[in-house]
Amino acid sequence: MEEIVQHLTPLLDQVTGYIYPNEIELHWGLLVVIYPYLTGLVAGAFILASLVKVFNVKELQPTYRLSLLTALAFIVIAPLPLLAHLGHPEKSFEIFLTPNVNSAMAMFGFVYAWYLMAVLLLELWFDFRQDLVTMANESKGFKRLFYRTISLFSKDLSEKAIAFDHKAVRVITIIGIPSAFLLHGYVGFLFGSIKANPWWSSVLIPIVFLFSAIVSGVALVILLYMVITPLRNKVVDMLCLDKLASYLFYIMIVDFSLEILDFIHRVYESEESISILASLVQNKLFSSLVIMQVLMGMILPLFTIAAVKTFKVPADLRKLLYFISAILVQVGIFSTRWNVVIGGQLFSKSFMGLTTYKMTFFGLEGLLVSIGLLIMPFIILWILIKILDPWRSEDAALSTPTTGQ
Amino acid sequence: MNNWISKIPEQIKLLAVVVTVIITAFLIVRPMLIPAGFGEQGHFRSGALNDAVAVQFKYAGKASCVECHDDMTDMLAGGYHKKLSCEVCHGPLAGHIDDPDENTPSFPRERTLCPVCHEYLSSRPTGFPQIVSQSHNSLKACISCHEPHDPVPPDVPSQCSACHGEISRSKAVSHHVDIECEFCHTTPELHKTSPRQYRPSKPQNREFCGQCHTKNSKHNTKAPRIDLATHETRYDCWQCHYPHLPEAR
Repeated sequence: MEEIVQHLTPLLDQVTGYIYPNEIELHWGLLVVIYPYLTGLVAGAFILASLVKVFNVKELQPTYRLSLLTALAFIVIAPLPLLAHLGHPEKSFEIFLTPNVNSAMAMFGFVYAWYLMAVLLLELWFDFRQDLVTMANESKGFKRLFYRTISLFSKDLSEKAIAFDHKAVRVITIIGIPSAFLLHGYVGFLFGSIKANPWWSSVLIPIVFLFSAIVSGVALVILLYMVITPLRNKVVDMLCLDKLASYLFYIMIVDFSLEILDFIHRVYESEESISILASLVQNKLFSSLVIMQVLMGMILPLFTIAAVKTFKVPADLRKLLYFISAILVQVGIFSTRWNVVIGGQLFSKSFMGLTTYKMTFFGLEGLLVSIGLLIMPFIILWILIKILDPWRSEDAALSTPTTGQ
Repeated sequence: MNNWISKIPEQIKLLAVVVTVIITAFLIVRPMLIPAGFGEQGHFRSGALNDAVAVQFKYAGKASCVECHDDMTDMLAGGYHKKLSCEVCHGPLAGHIDDPDENTPSFPRERTLCPVCHEYLSSRPTGFPQIVSQSHNSLKACISCHEPHDPVPPDVPSQCSACHGEISRSKAVSHHVDIECEFCHTTPELHKTSPRQYRPSKPQNREFCGQCHTKNSKHNTKAPRIDLATHETRYDCWQCHYPHLPEAR
């Protein structure tokens, strides 16, 4: 008893107005913020990859495989924050054994599995099959067995087989686009369908989530491409980078418009929750929403890229501005997730008071674990790049690097 | 037939094998992993009900305390804390019922527990005793002045604000700041010791406010004036104006 009081007393100092006792402490913390952030990056990176295969945007070819591998590296880690938050990870597979069609969260397991197994892994397998067979043929011992195994002991390198690979990749990508929309739209749906929470309950939430996901995915691939290319001793393809920045710009405009629409809709509807939500935005979420999400994460990068597109900016400065914009976008989208997840729990269901979120450093729900979870996809991506060598055929084809300015 | 199979690309054949293996493995393993009793009574393991029944009780309930501590529970029943369960302050006591010597209740003596309910919060009900703990005898334990089983102020309050903190704070920033509570409320002396039995009066008609706010009033000349005969005659004043903060809308 005394322990609970000691725990809640410092939080009570931060409470303003009236809140119910079980609202003092937040139930969903930093880990639940990371989860939609990571799945958003997956969906965004995949949509970017699909631009190359479905919409035939040739300029983005250098980032195609990187986007797919990024999506895979992040989707592997995406469920971990949820497992860490819920506890008992050993029980998680039970949602597949005993499917509960009445639970949106349980059904999400199938959406996730479909996306991982039927879309990402399959597309990667078809895209890398030729390389895997070649690498298996060129290596010996354990390495050869490894490549043979992940190529599923495939051997056919005939023109017909390779043409079939290309065709399969295209078909899977076409199926993959709605699947990626479903994956992150579903995350938005989980929040948007909670009708008791006016901050979440909105039919626009899944769509806003989806577009913010694409924004974050494109920005992440820009960052990765700009970091990895010099590490490979190659020159960044400016045509590709300009195209990436253009797509980032256009999708951000759509995303921003949707968020503004959501905002205007809420203000115009002016339901009974509007005054507490206004208070939430003006007080508890002011820095994370107004400053970080809107000003730093949206308006500043939009103006920067618009300025780059308007004025003749030298390539080096362009690279710097794109890099800074992409980082700002990441900060902005992370803040978006924060404002949805944490913001939605900061006000009382009585609409009469606000509480606060106290983040811990150590512990399963703490900052340290969260930082670890955010770093892990990059380690996995590094391993995937080492194993699959995504630029193998490109390097073989090009004896000298192109600048493409 | 063979010709037809040979036309299927190698990739599809290999993937078909993998998919078949995964599905077969899933179908074989699934019945082994589903817990016994699942689905018998709903979408859950029926044994979970027995697990829930087997969970050890931690709270004994007030009725159990009465059996030995009737002096305390009698005192509690006559006071303002009569609706509180003993375990709200003393913690879960099922273990104490089983073995009173081994498991002793907790006796909170710090200043942290009482403010959970009694720290000033503007949204708490009017008349609910509230303090600002940092300025309210900040070095003393609550129980050194208040008996928690029959909590009353150690001294009869001399000012209304002792209990009506929210009203006094609102009035302090309003144009009615200089009006004494007694001007509008006639308060029996016994209200200070038995506030719920002896309640203060409240103004009953429009004319009361009209003393200051009609056109012809001879009181405070700065007060806003209205014509009572024409100003929203279907309503009482307090239905639109909060008397303790008339500026509020």
